[in-house]
Amino acid sequence: MSVQLKINGELKTFESEMPGTLAALLEQLGVDAATVVAEVEGVIIERAKFGSTVLRSGQNIELIRFVGGG
Amino acid sequence: MAITAKEFEAVTVNNLGPAVWAKLNRATVAVAGLGGLGSRVAPALARSGLGKLIIVDFDIVEASNLNRQDYFADQLGLSKVAAMRENLARINPGLELEAHNLKLIPETICSLFASADVIVECFDKPDQKQMIAETVLARMSPKPIVSASGLAGYGRSNNITTRRRSGRHIVVGDLVSASGPGTGLYAGRVGIAALHQANAVIELLIDEMK
Repeated sequence: MSVQLKINGELKTFESEMPGTLAALLEQLGVDAATVVAEVEGVIIERAKFGSTVLRSGQNIELIRFVGGG
Repeated sequence: MAITAKEFEAVTVNNLGPAVWAKLNRATVAVAGLGGLGSRVAPALARSGLGKLIIVDFDIVEASNLNRQDYFADQLGLSKVAAMRENLARINPGLELEAHNLKLIPETICSLFASADVIVECFDKPDQKQMIAETVLARMSPKPIVSASGLAGYGRSNNITTRRRSGRHIVVGDLVSASGPGTGLYAGRVGIAALHQANAVIELLIDEMK
């Protein structure tokens, strides 16, 4: 069964390796979790809870990845 | 010859009109980090007639900062908060200033910035940018934060934008231009991002604060 997530407004379909948690999603996307602020369905998820945040098909996910420089 | 705090206030009321001046004058803004971003954001807000600034940094002014940070050659070795205190007092003698020479962590962000109307993230490292954004958004509702991400290099001025990610989170930058080997930080592009941040703060204070 495939899973669909809306990530920053874009629909993304996962076939075989569907990410079970927010941490797994970031790993699949190749993003360093330490630089990401995440919202699931409009609720901020603290980084300490990325691993325990279970994703369900159809959810809206907003990811902001910070890059260095200031 | 210098002007007094009263004279600065009179000129600012005249520039802005009394209603806008009153909003800015009763506002408090926290500037977290006083490097390329914060050293430009704080003076811009001080010039705009802001009532109070809370500034925080743990660093000292070094020669390598002078290419883009708003300090002077005779301030090397001073803490950034001490140097910025001097500079801000020379700009706006009526500005109320709270300065902390320390490295921010979630607990101190919550305590030191409790009275701020808006928090401005002016850090350099991406994990620190993440830390303060997460702290403010998760623990300090309904306070807004203005972040910056993606401002290294030169040119591409028009790729620097101000985006509202949610009701409380404004992000300035092109989101992709990281500093690193081969990609430096330049006064122009960092400064553009910093003034986007200052402009976003002023808009929040004038249009959205009660």
